[in-house]
Amino acid sequence: MDKSKIFGPLSQDTTKIILDSISDGVFTIDYNWEITSFNRAAEEITGISRKEAIGRHCWEVFRSNMCEEDCALKRTMEEGKPFISTSAYIINTQQKKIPITAATSLLIDKNGDVIGGVETFRDHSLEEALRHELTREVQVEDIVSTSSAMKNIFNILPQISDSDASVLIEGETGTGKELMARAIHNLSPRKDHPFIAINCGALPDTLLESELFGYKKGAFTHAVKDKPGQFALAEGGTVFLDEIGDTSPAFQVRLLRVLQEHEYTPLGGIAKEKTNVRIIAATNRDLSAMVESNSFRQDLYYRINVIRICLPPLRQRMEDIPPLTDRFISKLNLRQNKFIQGIDQEVLAALMSHEFPGNIRELENIIEHAFVLCPEGYINTTHLPGFLAFTPAPRHQPDTDPVRTAQIKVIKDALARNNGNRNAAARDLGIHKSTLFRRIKKLGIRP
Amino acid sequence: MKIAVTAWGNRVSPVFDSARTLLIAGIENKSVSHTTYVSFHPGDIQGLSVLLKRLGVPILICGAISTSPAEALTENRIKLISFVSGNALEILATFARRNAIDTVHMMPGSPLR
Repeated sequence: MDKSKIFGPLSQDTTKIILDSISDGVFTIDYNWEITSFNRAAEEITGISRKEAIGRHCWEVFRSNMCEEDCALKRTMEEGKPFISTSAYIINTQQKKIPITAATSLLIDKNGDVIGGVETFRDHSLEEALRHELTREVQVEDIVSTSSAMKNIFNILPQISDSDASVLIEGETGTGKELMARAIHNLSPRKDHPFIAINCGALPDTLLESELFGYKKGAFTHAVKDKPGQFALAEGGTVFLDEIGDTSPAFQVRLLRVLQEHEYTPLGGIAKEKTNVRIIAATNRDLSAMVESNSFRQDLYYRINVIRICLPPLRQRMEDIPPLTDRFISKLNLRQNKFIQGIDQEVLAALMSHEFPGNIRELENIIEHAFVLCPEGYINTTHLPGFLAFTPAPRHQPDTDPVRTAQIKVIKDALARNNGNRNAAARDLGIHKSTLFRRIKKLGIRP
Repeated sequence: MKIAVTAWGNRVSPVFDSARTLLIAGIENKSVSHTTYVSFHPGDIQGLSVLLKRLGVPILICGAISTSPAEALTENRIKLISFVSGNALEILATFARRNAIDTVHMMPGSPLR
């Protein structure tokens, strides 16, 4: 039997015209799972001609990730009810994964008898591309972010790295100040020389001085031989001074001299030693306020504050939680030889509602805690630390309609590029001006 | 020689990227001598390549496959015969006999057809 002739002569022509005029792919199958009709959009989306498709099993043509385990058409045929908006992908003839949404329903003839099933599917490649563009995560060295604040920092990082100027990194604890300092070093001409990090707040003054500048034999009771300091060990490279705001006024004077004269005197020494290191300082305190209150030297502040980078706290860049979470899980999977696939929606909601006073370090600790408790699959709320597991409704909701957001962004960018000229923006976007006007109105974009 | 087929019941799995099971067939004297099934994760091509090498399988027959895993498998020196469809054992028997896949067992619109 010619399977394309399941409709009567007149209705077949009419149906074909209708089906070919719509932009969604549509195909129908019979009870043998063989394709009986295949519209023009289906040809375009799959890359398979109607002639080749008809008579073949639907899974050979549709080639979706749903086919094997979660076939919507199978559920429709078994349960006799339609399914809508199943998100999936298909693989086209160019071996590309095409993101789609699909809907299925029973195919009923004019007598009311079920003669098969029908599947309609929509190509979401463009929306996916826009969504990807909008939420594209940027990775610089070990720092991952999708936030515009961090992207702005990433944009200027090459210039900062190329220069030899001192850098002050400000940010709350756990915001990744040392990672940022390492990124600057690794992108700089000094990258083949050492990067040495010192936590100034962790050491008392004398120990900090001997640690940084070294000492000469006999400088103090147990100084039985010369010991080079971190400045000597980092020669040609970068010294990262964390918690610079916690240093004493006396140490600040010595550090200022190093910055001004590029030389220092080891403890117990007489001769000055030259140094060629770049200083990157960091603090979680408000140094300018400390200068105002005379608890930090103004001259040192200006020396280290040639370039200032302010790292936003995680609560101001919640959009980074998903990529950071993915990254931590990938690292842990690799390290512990597990295969945790990710976090479920409730965990994401719990994370999005948390304030993260400990910032990224706190997020990493939470994920590690959950990772240990999760045997396989997705991390759920039972794996979270107690203080997070029963968090109420999220304070920050992830964007509920990223496609709409992407469309607004694309149109706004085009308008900005063309100084608000809608005709020029329409030409720029390759769409008719009336289409652009309609979308501006629909999306509520204001000039 | 051994050959692997991504299996979905008795058929070749339609999409490699979402397949979960491998049918490993031993070929002797131009026929299939034995078969065994193993699980795998299509997102971990490195792991799959190591598994296939450990099992002594140089050839993988599968259904539709996206570019990224296809390239990764080829880079790992696995000979890939993709966009194949139909009864897995029939396809293996043909391949054992003739070292080729019948065109009737190629998917419609196959880029390799």
